[in-house]
Formats: sequence, structure tokens, C-alpha cells
Amino acid sequence: MSFCLDTYLQQSDNYEIHASKAGFKDCAMIIRFKADDLVYIKPGDEVLGVRVIGIPPIPIGFDHDKGTVFLPYTKPCHGTSVVELPIDEEEVEKIRKLDTGNKK
Amino acid sequence: MKALVLLGCPETPSQTPMAVYVFNKLTKMGYDVTIAANPAASKLVKISDPENLYKLNLVDLERTLGDINEGDYDLLVGFVHKDAAASFFVTFEQILQCKSLALVFSRDADEIEEFVNMIEESGSNAKITAVRAFHNPSPIKVKFDKAIKEFE
Repeated sequence: MSFCLDTYLQQSDNYEIHASKAGFKDCAMIIRFKADDLVYIKPGDEVLGVRVIGIPPIPIGFDHDKGTVFLPYTKPCHGTSVVELPIDEEEVEKIRKLDTGNKK
Repeated sequence: MKALVLLGCPETPSQTPMAVYVFNKLTKMGYDVTIAANPAASKLVKISDPENLYKLNLVDLERTLGDINEGDYDLLVGFVHKDAAASFFVTFEQILQCKSLALVFSRDADEIEEFVNMIEESGSNAKITAVRAFHNPSPIKVKFDKAIKEFE
């Protein structure tokens, strides 16, 4: 069964919220600041079983020492949050394939 | 022809009557219209039509986001009155790659400018119409009526 972020956030406490109820731009800035490696994806690209919502280019960050990923997570009434959670190498490689290379 | 109407967070009073208005207008233009909303926004619209006179076709926003593909709709209309709504609108537009209209509104002029900039900076081809409004739907209705003429 494939990984689903929504289910994971409901059923696990092994994640960290770095910003909540924020604007997308602020969350993008936090991801760029906290991660030691970044890829930029398009809105609607699927990461960890969900389509990522945002304004392009959307940064997805990695902390390779901790084995975690940082991503924006948007809800209509709660704005955007930055979620950090564990990720395996197979998922990292899937995300790398989405990289647009566009940082602007 | 199929149209998708995106609702944002339901905390702005003018969104609900405008959702019914936009649904009716687009239906009369010949579109098969679907409204995508979160559960709270959806309930507000549904209860506004107790006899189901408008036959409002309501679907879950996030489930729809997971299901749609390019070309599924011919027109996208989005209510943009929060940062998250701008993000949702841009995301749906990028997936669907169809004609699109953003109805940007807020009681705060700075927010309006911010949301318009977010959509424009995304490289969107959407028609954007913006107005100061919160409780009173009339300014949004006037802007929508004018903007939708480009899609007739």
C-alpha cells in the first residue's frame, strides 16, 4: 500500500510542524531556510500520496542527516503549514524526478 | 461544456449567495457546473437550497483535487479571499489547464493586492477580477457579471 500523507498526519505523532496557519510565501521561505537540500515542483505534483498545493515554484526540502522532508501543507480554512516528517530514499528519489529546476 | 467552481473558507458571508448565483449563471450559459468546497462551505450552500431547486452539484474540494486531470473542465471559477484560496486556485488551474476566472475579494485592500499578485506571479493565464467586499455580495456580483461576459 502506498504512503498517504493525510492518513499519516492523522495516525502518527512522528512529525513536526514548523509553521501553522501561515501564508504560502512565508512557508516557502521557512522551507528554504531550514532544509539543507531543495527541489522545486509544480502545483498539483504528487508528494507522499497527496497533490501539493501552492504557488510555483514550490520548494520541497530535505534534511539528509535526519532523513526528513519539509513540505507545505494547505487547508482552506487553516492556511499553509510547514510539515517535517521522516522519508525514505525511495520517496526522495520520486520527489527528485519532479524537480523543475526553476527557483524563481 | 463543464465548469468547476471553487469555494474557499466559508467565513466570508458573501461567498455562499455568490456560489448559488455563479452556479445559476454558468448553468444558464450552458455549462454543466460542479461546486467544489470543504464540508463547512458545502453545507452553507446546500442548506441555502432546501428544495434542491437549483440542483446544486456539490463535491468535496480535496477529493476533487486528488481526482482531476488536465482537460476535465472547460472553465474554472474560484473564490479567492484567503491566501489558501489563492494557492488552491493556482493549483487547480495548473492541473486543469483550462480557461479560468479568479474572483478576488476582501474587506482589506492590501489583501486584495496580495492575492492578485500571488495569482499573477504564478504565471497564471486566469482572468482576475478584484473588489473590496465582505458581507455584501453585490460588488462581487457586479464584477463577476462583467468578467464572465468574456467567456460567453
